[in-house]
Amino acid sequence: MVDKPGIVGWGSYIPLNRLPLDEITRVWGFQPEMPSSLNVREKAVAGRDEDSVTMGWEAARNALRRAGIDPSLIGAVWFGTESKPYAVKPSATILAEALGITPVTMASDMEFACRAASEALRISLAAVSSGLVRYALVIGSDTAQANPGDVLEYTAASAATALIVGPGSEAAAVIEDSYTYVTDTPDFWRRAHQPYPLHGEGFTGAPAYFHHIVSAVKGLFEKTGLGPEDFTYAVFHQPNGTFPLRVAKMLGFPKEKVLPGLVTPYIGNSYNSSALIGLSRILDIANPGDTILLAPFGSGAGSDAYAIRVTEKVLEKQTLAPTVDDYLERKKKIDYALYAKHRGLIKRIR
Amino acid sequence: MPMNYSVPRAWRERKKYYRLEAARCLSCGRVNYPPGPVCRYCGSDKLEKIELIDEKARLITWTVIHVPVEGYEEHRPLIIGIVETLDTKARLLTRIVDAEPSELSRGMILEPVLRRIREDGEAGLIHYAITYRPPIKQV
Ligand SMILES: [Zn+2]
Repeated sequence: MVDKPGIVGWGSYIPLNRLPLDEITRVWGFQPEMPSSLNVREKAVAGRDEDSVTMGWEAARNALRRAGIDPSLIGAVWFGTESKPYAVKPSATILAEALGITPVTMASDMEFACRAASEALRISLAAVSSGLVRYALVIGSDTAQANPGDVLEYTAASAATALIVGPGSEAAAVIEDSYTYVTDTPDFWRRAHQPYPLHGEGFTGAPAYFHHIVSAVKGLFEKTGLGPEDFTYAVFHQPNGTFPLRVAKMLGFPKEKVLPGLVTPYIGNSYNSSALIGLSRILDIANPGDTILLAPFGSGAGSDAYAIRVTEKVLEKQTLAPTVDDYLERKKKIDYALYAKHRGLIKRIR
Repeated sequence: MPMNYSVPRAWRERKKYYRLEAARCLSCGRVNYPPGPVCRYCGSDKLEKIELIDEKARLITWTVIHVPVEGYEEHRPLIIGIVETLDTKARLLTRIVDAEPSELSRGMILEPVLRRIREDGEAGLIHYAITYRPPIKQV
Protein backbone atom coordinates (compact mmCIF):
# COMPACT_ATOMS: atom_id res chain seq x y z
CA MET A 1 0.00 0.00 0.00
CA VAL A 2 1.22 3.48 -0.85
CA ASP A 3 2.25 5.71 2.04
CA LYS A 4 -0.49 8.35 1.95
CA PRO A 5 0.68 11.90 2.60
CA GLY A 6 -0.37 13.81 5.65
CA ILE A 7 0.05 16.86 7.83
CA VAL A 8 3.46 16.80 9.52
CA GLY A 9 3.08 20.27 11.03
CA TRP A 10 0.27 22.76 11.56
CA GLY A 11 0.02 26.22 13.05
CA SER A 12 -2.14 29.32 13.13
CA TYR A 13 -1.97 32.99 13.93
CA ILE A 14 -4.63 35.45 15.10
CA PRO A 15 -3.78 39.15 15.45
CA LEU A 16 -4.05 40.79 18.87
CA ASN A 17 -6.83 43.31 18.17
CA ARG A 18 -10.54 42.38 18.42
CA LEU A 19 -13.42 44.54 17.33
CA PRO A 20 -16.67 43.74 19.23
CA LEU A 21 -19.31 43.59 16.50
CA ASP A 22 -21.65 45.87 18.44
CA GLU A 23 -19.27 48.63 17.37
CA ILE A 24 -20.28 48.08 13.72
CA THR A 25 -23.94 48.21 14.74
CA ARG A 26 -23.29 51.45 16.66
CA VAL A 27 -21.52 53.14 13.74
CA TRP A 28 -23.65 51.92 10.83
CA GLY A 29 -27.11 51.65 12.41
CA PHE A 30 -27.86 48.00 11.69
CA GLN A 31 -30.38 46.07 13.79
CA PRO A 32 -28.89 45.35 17.24
CA GLU A 33 -29.41 41.60 16.76
CA MET A 34 -27.08 41.39 13.73
CA PRO A 35 -24.08 39.91 15.61
CA SER A 36 -26.21 37.26 17.33
CA SER A 37 -28.01 36.35 14.09
CA LEU A 38 -24.58 35.75 12.51
CA ASN A 39 -23.41 33.97 15.69
CA VAL A 40 -20.23 36.09 15.74
CA ARG A 41 -19.25 38.26 18.72
CA GLU A 42 -15.91 39.80 17.80
CA LYS A 43 -13.60 39.88 14.82
CA ALA A 44 -9.81 39.77 14.71
CA VAL A 45 -8.21 42.85 13.16
CA ALA A 46 -4.67 42.89 11.75
CA GLY A 47 -2.57 45.84 12.96
CA ARG A 48 -1.15 48.59 10.77
CA ASP A 49 2.18 46.72 10.61
CA GLU A 50 0.60 43.39 9.62
CA ASP A 51 -0.65 41.88 6.39
CA SER A 52 -1.31 38.44 4.93
CA VAL A 53 2.46 37.87 4.58
CA THR A 54 3.39 38.65 8.20
CA MET A 55 0.45 36.64 9.52
CA GLY A 56 1.27 33.74 7.20
CA TRP A 57 4.88 33.90 8.39
CA GLU A 58 3.88 33.35 12.02
CA ALA A 59 1.45 30.53 11.20
CA ALA A 60 4.21 28.86 9.15
CA ARG A 61 6.76 29.28 11.96
CA ASN A 62 4.34 27.45 14.26
CA ALA A 63 3.84 24.71 11.66
CA LEU A 64 7.63 24.37 11.27
CA ARG A 65 8.06 23.98 15.04
CA ARG A 66 5.54 21.14 15.02
CA ALA A 67 7.05 19.52 11.92
CA GLY A 68 10.55 19.66 13.41
CA ILE A 69 12.15 19.75 9.96
CA ASP A 70 14.89 21.84 8.38
CA PRO A 71 12.96 24.50 6.39
CA SER A 72 15.27 24.03 3.40
CA LEU A 73 13.75 20.55 2.88
CA ILE A 74 10.47 22.18 1.83
CA GLY A 75 10.12 21.99 -1.95
CA ALA A 76 6.98 24.08 -2.45
CA VAL A 77 5.51 27.17 -0.80
CA TRP A 78 1.94 27.75 -1.90
CA PHE A 79 0.25 30.81 -0.50
CA GLY A 80 -3.54 31.06 -0.64
CA THR A 81 -4.93 34.55 -0.12
CA GLU A 82 -7.29 37.12 -1.55
CA SER A 83 -5.48 39.98 0.21
CA LYS A 84 -2.03 40.00 -1.39
CA PRO A 85 0.18 42.92 -0.30
CA TYR A 86 1.32 43.34 -3.93
CA ALA A 87 -0.91 43.02 -6.99
CA VAL A 88 2.16 41.79 -8.89
CA LYS A 89 5.12 40.27 -7.02
CA PRO A 90 4.81 36.94 -5.28
CA SER A 91 4.14 36.94 -1.55
CA ALA A 92 5.33 33.32 -1.55
CA THR A 93 8.93 34.34 -2.25
CA ILE A 94 8.93 36.80 0.67
CA LEU A 95 7.66 34.00 2.89
CA ALA A 96 10.06 31.39 1.49
CA GLU A 97 13.01 33.73 2.08
CA ALA A 98 11.91 34.83 5.56
CA LEU A 99 11.27 31.22 6.59
CA GLY A 100 14.68 29.95 5.40
CA ILE A 101 13.26 27.84 2.57
CA THR A 102 14.89 29.57 -0.45
CA PRO A 103 16.32 29.10 -3.02
CA VAL A 104 15.55 25.51 -4.11
CA THR A 105 11.76 25.51 -3.93
CA MET A 106 8.63 26.19 -5.92
CA ALA A 107 6.75 29.25 -4.70
CA SER A 108 3.59 30.95 -5.84
CA ASP A 109 0.45 32.76 -4.76
CA MET A 110 -2.90 31.16 -5.45
CA GLU A 111 -6.27 32.84 -5.82
CA PHE A 112 -9.71 31.27 -5.47
CA ALA A 113 -11.46 33.59 -3.00
CA CYS A 114 -11.47 31.66 0.31
CA ARG A 115 -10.52 28.33 -1.26
CA ALA A 116 -7.05 28.99 -2.71
CA ALA A 117 -5.20 27.43 0.23
CA SER A 118 -7.36 24.33 -0.05
CA GLU A 119 -6.42 23.97 -3.72
CA ALA A 120 -2.81 24.36 -2.52
CA LEU A 121 -3.44 21.49 -0.09
CA ARG A 122 -4.76 19.22 -2.84
CA ILE A 123 -1.78 20.02 -5.07
CA SER A 124 0.59 19.45 -2.15
CA LEU A 125 -0.87 15.99 -1.59
CA ALA A 126 -0.18 15.18 -5.24
CA ALA A 127 3.33 16.68 -5.12
CA VAL A 128 4.26 14.68 -2.02
CA SER A 129 2.64 11.40 -3.21
CA SER A 130 4.41 11.59 -6.54
CA GLY A 131 7.80 12.17 -4.91
CA LEU A 132 8.18 15.56 -6.60
CA VAL A 133 8.84 17.14 -3.19
CA ARG A 134 9.37 15.71 0.30
CA TYR A 135 7.52 18.54 2.05
CA ALA A 136 5.16 21.27 0.84
CA LEU A 137 4.10 24.32 2.81
CA VAL A 138 0.48 25.46 2.43
CA ILE A 139 -0.48 28.82 3.89
CA GLY A 140 -3.97 30.32 4.03
CA SER A 141 -3.84 33.93 5.21
CA ASP A 142 -6.15 36.89 4.79
CA THR A 143 -6.76 40.40 6.00
CA ALA A 144 -10.25 40.28 4.54
CA GLN A 145 -11.66 43.57 3.28
CA ALA A 146 -15.25 44.76 3.32
CA ASN A 147 -16.86 47.96 2.15
CA PRO A 148 -17.45 49.99 5.35
CA GLY A 149 -21.15 49.76 6.20
CA ASP A 150 -21.66 46.59 4.12
CA VAL A 151 -23.07 43.65 6.08
CA LEU A 152 -19.87 41.82 5.10
CA GLU A 153 -17.98 44.12 7.45
CA TYR A 154 -19.37 42.18 10.43
CA THR A 155 -17.40 39.09 9.52
CA ALA A 156 -14.44 40.08 7.28
CA ALA A 157 -11.52 39.32 9.60
CA SER A 158 -7.81 38.54 9.74
CA ALA A 159 -5.99 35.29 10.61
CA ALA A 160 -3.67 32.70 9.09
CA THR A 161 -3.11 28.95 9.14
CA ALA A 162 -0.23 26.90 7.74
CA LEU A 163 0.05 23.18 7.06
CA ILE A 164 3.20 21.28 6.17
CA VAL A 165 2.35 18.30 4.00
CA GLY A 166 4.79 15.39 4.02
CA PRO A 167 5.11 11.60 4.18
CA GLY A 168 2.33 9.85 6.07
CA SER A 169 4.90 8.01 8.18
CA GLU A 170 5.86 11.36 9.79
CA ALA A 171 2.37 12.85 9.89
CA ALA A 172 0.18 13.89 12.81
CA ALA A 173 -2.78 13.28 10.51
CA VAL A 174 -2.94 11.29 7.31
CA ILE A 175 -5.18 12.50 4.49
CA GLU A 176 -6.95 9.35 3.39
CA ASP A 177 -8.90 10.81 0.49
CA SER A 178 -10.14 14.03 -1.05
CA TYR A 179 -12.72 15.25 -3.56
CA THR A 180 -13.30 18.60 -5.29
CA TYR A 181 -16.41 20.21 -6.78
CA VAL A 182 -16.32 23.55 -8.66
CA THR A 183 -18.69 25.50 -10.93
CA ASP A 184 -18.84 29.06 -12.28
CA THR A 185 -21.09 30.58 -9.63
CA PRO A 186 -20.69 34.35 -9.19
CA ASP A 187 -21.59 34.75 -5.52
CA PHE A 188 -18.72 37.09 -4.56
CA TRP A 189 -16.05 38.96 -6.53
CA ARG A 190 -13.74 41.94 -6.59
CA ARG A 191 -12.77 43.60 -9.87
CA ALA A 192 -9.23 44.86 -10.49
CA HIS A 193 -8.37 48.15 -8.72
CA GLN A 194 -11.54 47.97 -6.61
CA PRO A 195 -10.80 48.20 -2.88
CA TYR A 196 -13.73 46.08 -1.70
CA PRO A 197 -15.57 43.01 -2.97
CA LEU A 198 -19.21 42.79 -4.01
CA HIS A 199 -21.51 39.86 -3.35
CA GLY A 200 -24.73 38.62 -4.83
CA GLU A 201 -27.12 39.39 -1.97
CA GLY A 202 -29.05 36.24 -1.07
CA PHE A 203 -26.98 34.33 -3.62
CA THR A 204 -24.08 33.42 -1.35
CA GLY A 205 -26.06 30.75 0.54
CA ALA A 206 -28.05 28.07 -1.31
CA PRO A 207 -26.45 28.03 -4.81
CA ALA A 208 -22.95 28.80 -3.58
CA TYR A 209 -21.93 27.75 -0.05
CA PHE A 210 -24.48 25.00 0.58
CA HIS A 211 -24.59 23.49 -2.92
CA HIS A 212 -20.81 23.24 -3.29
CA ILE A 213 -20.00 21.95 0.20
CA VAL A 214 -22.83 19.40 0.14
CA SER A 215 -21.78 18.23 -3.33
CA ALA A 216 -18.11 17.89 -2.38
CA VAL A 217 -18.85 16.03 0.87
CA LYS A 218 -21.42 13.73 -0.75
CA GLY A 219 -18.92 13.09 -3.55
CA LEU A 220 -16.31 12.09 -0.98
CA PHE A 221 -18.82 9.85 0.79
CA GLU A 222 -19.71 8.09 -2.47
CA LYS A 223 -16.05 7.70 -3.44
CA THR A 224 -14.98 6.27 -0.08
CA GLY A 225 -18.12 4.63 1.29
CA LEU A 226 -17.77 6.77 4.43
CA GLY A 227 -20.62 8.64 6.14
CA PRO A 228 -21.08 11.19 8.92
CA GLU A 229 -20.95 8.45 11.57
CA ASP A 230 -17.36 7.64 10.52
CA PHE A 231 -16.01 11.01 11.65
CA THR A 232 -15.14 12.29 15.13
CA TYR A 233 -15.12 15.93 13.94
CA ALA A 234 -16.36 17.94 10.98
CA VAL A 235 -14.94 21.32 9.92
CA PHE A 236 -16.56 23.45 7.24
CA HIS A 237 -15.75 26.83 5.76
CA GLN A 238 -17.16 29.30 8.26
CA PRO A 239 -18.21 32.65 6.76
CA ASN A 240 -20.30 33.20 9.90
CA GLY A 241 -21.22 31.15 12.96
CA THR A 242 -24.47 29.73 11.55
CA PHE A 243 -23.76 28.39 8.01
CA PRO A 244 -21.41 25.60 9.22
CA LEU A 245 -24.03 24.33 11.67
CA ARG A 246 -26.70 24.37 8.94
CA VAL A 247 -24.57 22.56 6.38
CA ALA A 248 -23.59 20.01 9.06
CA LYS A 249 -27.26 19.31 9.69
CA MET A 250 -27.93 18.90 5.95
CA LEU A 251 -25.12 16.31 5.82
CA GLY A 252 -26.14 14.47 8.99
CA PHE A 253 -23.43 15.68 11.38
CA PRO A 254 -24.53 16.53 14.92
CA LYS A 255 -23.56 19.96 16.30
CA GLU A 256 -21.16 18.39 18.81
CA LYS A 257 -18.85 17.26 15.99
CA VAL A 258 -18.74 20.78 14.53
CA LEU A 259 -18.38 23.05 17.56
CA PRO A 260 -14.73 22.19 18.41
CA GLY A 261 -13.62 23.43 14.97
CA LEU A 262 -15.94 26.45 14.87
CA VAL A 263 -13.66 29.47 15.41
CA THR A 264 -15.58 32.18 13.51
CA PRO A 265 -17.83 33.15 16.50
CA TYR A 266 -14.68 34.41 18.26
CA ILE A 267 -12.67 35.99 15.43
CA GLY A 268 -14.91 36.35 12.36
CA ASN A 269 -14.29 34.86 8.93
CA SER A 270 -10.59 34.64 8.10
CA TYR A 271 -11.26 33.60 4.48
CA ASN A 272 -8.37 31.35 3.37
CA SER A 273 -7.75 30.47 7.01
CA SER A 274 -11.45 30.03 7.83
CA ALA A 275 -11.86 26.25 7.61
CA LEU A 276 -8.13 25.59 8.11
CA ILE A 277 -8.01 27.33 11.49
CA GLY A 278 -10.87 25.06 12.55
CA LEU A 279 -8.76 22.06 11.50
CA SER A 280 -5.80 23.55 13.34
CA ARG A 281 -7.83 23.90 16.56
CA ILE A 282 -8.99 20.29 16.28
CA LEU A 283 -5.44 19.02 15.73
CA ASP A 284 -4.47 20.96 18.89
CA ILE A 285 -6.79 18.70 20.94
CA ALA A 286 -7.18 15.56 18.79
CA ASN A 287 -6.36 12.04 19.91
CA PRO A 288 -4.78 9.26 17.85
CA GLY A 289 -7.45 7.44 15.85
CA ASP A 290 -9.78 10.45 15.62
CA THR A 291 -11.16 11.15 12.17
CA ILE A 292 -11.87 14.58 10.71
CA LEU A 293 -13.97 15.70 7.77
CA LEU A 294 -12.63 18.97 6.37
CA ALA A 295 -14.59 20.97 3.78
CA PRO A 296 -13.29 24.41 2.80
CA PHE A 297 -15.27 26.55 0.34
CA GLY A 298 -14.40 29.47 -1.91
CA SER A 299 -16.71 31.80 -3.78
CA GLY A 300 -16.71 31.66 -7.50
CA ALA A 301 -17.25 28.77 -6.48
CA GLY A 302 -15.86 25.49 -5.21
CA SER A 303 -15.41 23.17 -2.27
CA ASP A 304 -13.07 20.34 -1.33
CA ALA A 305 -13.83 17.50 1.05
CA TYR A 306 -11.03 15.65 2.87
CA ALA A 307 -11.11 12.51 5.01
CA ILE A 308 -8.38 12.84 7.65
CA ARG A 309 -7.16 10.27 10.19
CA VAL A 310 -5.20 11.42 13.23
CA THR A 311 -2.10 9.37 14.10
CA GLU A 312 -0.25 8.77 17.37
CA LYS A 313 2.30 11.44 16.35
CA VAL A 314 -0.24 14.21 17.02
CA LEU A 315 0.35 14.15 20.78
CA GLU A 316 4.08 14.93 20.72
CA LYS A 317 3.49 17.82 18.30
CA GLN A 318 0.60 19.52 20.10
CA THR A 319 2.81 21.19 22.73
CA LEU A 320 5.54 22.41 20.35
CA ALA A 321 3.87 25.70 19.36
CA PRO A 322 1.11 28.02 20.58
CA THR A 323 -2.39 26.61 20.05
CA VAL A 324 -5.34 28.35 18.42
CA ASP A 325 -6.78 28.79 21.92
CA ASP A 326 -3.58 30.53 23.07
CA TYR A 327 -4.20 33.11 20.33
CA LEU A 328 -7.94 33.31 21.12
CA GLU A 329 -7.12 34.17 24.72
CA ARG A 330 -4.51 36.79 23.82
CA LYS A 331 -6.63 39.74 22.76
CA LYS A 332 -7.11 43.45 23.10
CA LYS A 333 -10.48 45.07 22.44
CA ILE A 334 -10.49 48.09 20.15
CA ASP A 335 -13.23 50.48 19.03
CA TYR A 336 -14.35 51.30 15.48
CA ALA A 337 -11.98 54.27 15.25
CA LEU A 338 -8.87 52.20 15.94
CA TYR A 339 -10.17 49.43 13.68
CA ALA A 340 -10.61 52.00 10.89
CA LYS A 341 -7.02 53.16 11.38
CA HIS A 342 -5.59 49.64 11.49
CA ARG A 343 -7.41 48.53 8.35
CA GLY A 344 -6.54 51.68 6.41
CA LEU A 345 -10.17 52.87 6.15
CA ILE A 346 -9.13 56.42 6.97
CA LYS A 347 -7.90 58.23 3.88
CA ARG A 348 -4.70 60.16 4.59
CA ILE A 349 -2.40 62.10 2.28
CA ARG A 350 0.85 60.16 2.38
CA MET B 1 8.83 57.31 -10.06
CA PRO B 2 11.54 58.10 -7.50
CA MET B 3 12.22 55.53 -4.80
CA ASN B 4 13.00 56.91 -1.37
CA TYR B 5 14.71 53.73 -0.30
CA SER B 6 17.18 51.96 -2.57
CA VAL B 7 15.78 48.73 -3.99
CA PRO B 8 19.25 47.09 -4.29
CA ARG B 9 19.90 47.97 -0.65
CA ALA B 10 16.62 46.39 0.49
CA TRP B 11 17.48 43.27 -1.51
CA ARG B 12 21.05 43.10 -0.16
CA GLU B 13 19.86 43.45 3.42
CA ARG B 14 16.99 40.96 3.30
CA LYS B 15 18.73 38.19 5.29
CA LYS B 16 19.66 40.71 7.96
CA TYR B 17 16.05 41.85 8.30
CA TYR B 18 14.22 38.55 7.69
CA ARG B 19 16.51 36.04 9.41
CA LEU B 20 18.56 38.29 11.72
CA GLU B 21 21.73 37.24 9.98
CA ALA B 22 24.61 38.23 12.26
CA ALA B 23 28.40 37.79 12.44
CA ARG B 24 29.98 35.74 15.21
CA CYS B 25 33.59 36.70 15.89
CA LEU B 26 35.92 33.69 15.84
CA SER B 27 38.51 35.64 17.88
CA CYS B 28 36.50 37.00 20.83
CA GLY B 29 33.29 34.99 20.39
CA ARG B 30 30.92 37.95 20.47
CA VAL B 31 28.03 38.26 18.04
CA ASN B 32 27.75 41.39 15.90
CA TYR B 33 24.37 42.67 14.72
CA PRO B 34 24.15 44.20 12.24
CA PRO B 35 27.01 42.17 10.80
CA GLY B 36 30.00 44.15 9.50
CA PRO B 37 33.35 43.35 7.85
CA VAL B 38 35.21 43.39 11.21
CA CYS B 39 34.20 42.64 14.81
CA ARG B 40 33.17 45.85 16.52
CA TYR B 41 34.33 44.51 19.87
CA CYS B 42 37.90 43.38 19.03
CA GLY B 43 38.58 44.39 15.43
CA SER B 44 39.11 40.84 14.15
CA ASP B 45 38.07 40.05 10.58
CA LYS B 46 37.58 36.36 11.34
CA LEU B 47 33.79 36.18 11.39
CA GLU B 48 31.19 33.51 10.68
CA LYS B 49 27.58 34.09 9.67
CA ILE B 50 24.86 32.92 12.05
CA GLU B 51 21.10 33.56 12.34
CA LEU B 52 19.40 34.83 15.50
CA ILE B 53 15.86 34.18 14.28
CA ASP B 54 15.18 31.18 16.54
CA GLU B 55 16.13 32.91 19.80
CA LYS B 56 14.06 34.83 22.26
CA ALA B 57 15.61 37.99 23.70
CA ARG B 58 15.67 40.00 26.92
CA LEU B 59 14.60 43.64 26.92
CA ILE B 60 17.50 45.83 28.05
CA THR B 61 16.03 49.31 27.54
CA TRP B 62 13.58 51.18 25.32
CA THR B 63 12.26 54.55 24.31
CA VAL B 64 8.85 55.71 23.15
CA ILE B 65 8.79 58.03 20.12
CA HIS B 66 5.68 60.17 19.79
CA VAL B 67 7.09 62.34 16.99
CA PRO B 68 8.69 59.94 14.52
CA VAL B 69 10.16 60.88 11.16
CA GLU B 70 7.79 61.29 8.23
CA GLY B 71 6.18 58.07 7.07
CA TYR B 72 5.71 56.49 10.48
CA GLU B 73 2.64 58.47 11.62
CA GLU B 74 0.39 55.42 11.51
CA HIS B 75 2.73 53.51 13.83
CA ARG B 76 2.77 56.15 16.57
CA PRO B 77 3.88 55.79 19.26
CA LEU B 78 6.92 53.88 18.02
CA ILE B 79 8.67 51.81 20.64
CA ILE B 80 12.37 51.27 19.90
CA GLY B 81 14.30 48.99 22.22
CA ILE B 82 17.62 47.32 22.72
CA VAL B 83 17.29 43.58 23.28
CA GLU B 84 19.86 40.88 24.01
CA THR B 85 19.36 37.43 22.50
CA LEU B 86 19.21 34.72 25.16
CA ASP B 87 21.84 32.27 23.85
CA THR B 88 24.18 34.25 21.62
CA LYS B 89 24.03 37.49 23.71
CA ALA B 90 23.82 39.64 20.61
CA ARG B 91 22.50 43.16 21.18
CA LEU B 92 19.98 44.46 18.66
CA LEU B 93 18.24 47.77 18.14
CA THR B 94 14.68 46.81 17.25
CA ARG B 95 11.08 47.91 17.05
CA ILE B 96 8.81 46.51 19.78
CA VAL B 97 5.25 45.71 18.68
CA ASP B 98 1.96 44.46 20.14
CA ALA B 99 2.67 46.14 23.49
CA GLU B 100 1.78 49.39 25.20
CA PRO B 101 4.73 51.23 26.77
CA SER B 102 3.13 50.55 30.19
CA GLU B 103 3.31 46.79 29.55
CA LEU B 104 7.11 46.76 29.18
CA SER B 105 9.60 46.07 31.93
CA ARG B 106 13.37 45.76 32.05
CA GLY B 107 14.51 42.15 31.62
CA MET B 108 11.24 40.86 30.18
CA ILE B 109 11.46 38.13 27.54
CA LEU B 110 10.45 39.04 23.99
CA GLU B 111 10.19 36.96 20.83
CA PRO B 112 10.95 37.78 17.19
CA VAL B 113 8.09 38.42 14.78
CA LEU B 114 8.02 39.55 11.14
CA ARG B 115 6.25 42.86 10.50
CA ARG B 116 5.91 45.54 7.83
CA ILE B 117 8.28 48.26 8.94
CA ARG B 118 7.93 50.80 6.14
CA GLU B 119 6.42 51.36 2.73
CA ASP B 120 8.04 53.34 -0.04
CA GLY B 121 4.99 55.52 -0.74
CA GLU B 122 1.83 54.07 -2.31
CA ALA B 123 3.62 52.42 -5.25
CA GLY B 124 7.09 51.43 -4.02
CA LEU B 125 8.32 48.41 -2.12
CA ILE B 126 6.93 47.19 1.18
CA HIS B 127 9.75 46.50 3.63
CA TYR B 128 9.48 43.65 6.10
CA ALA B 129 11.72 43.07 9.09
CA ILE B 130 11.94 41.17 12.34
CA THR B 131 10.64 43.11 15.33
CA TYR B 132 10.07 41.85 18.89
CA ARG B 133 6.93 41.43 20.99
CA PRO B 134 5.87 39.82 24.27
CA PRO B 135 5.52 36.06 23.67
CA ILE B 136 2.13 34.57 22.81
CA LYS B 137 2.67 32.14 25.63
CA GLN B 138 4.99 32.71 28.59
CA VAL B 139 7.04 29.51 28.90
ZN1 LIG C 1 35.67 39.98 18.21
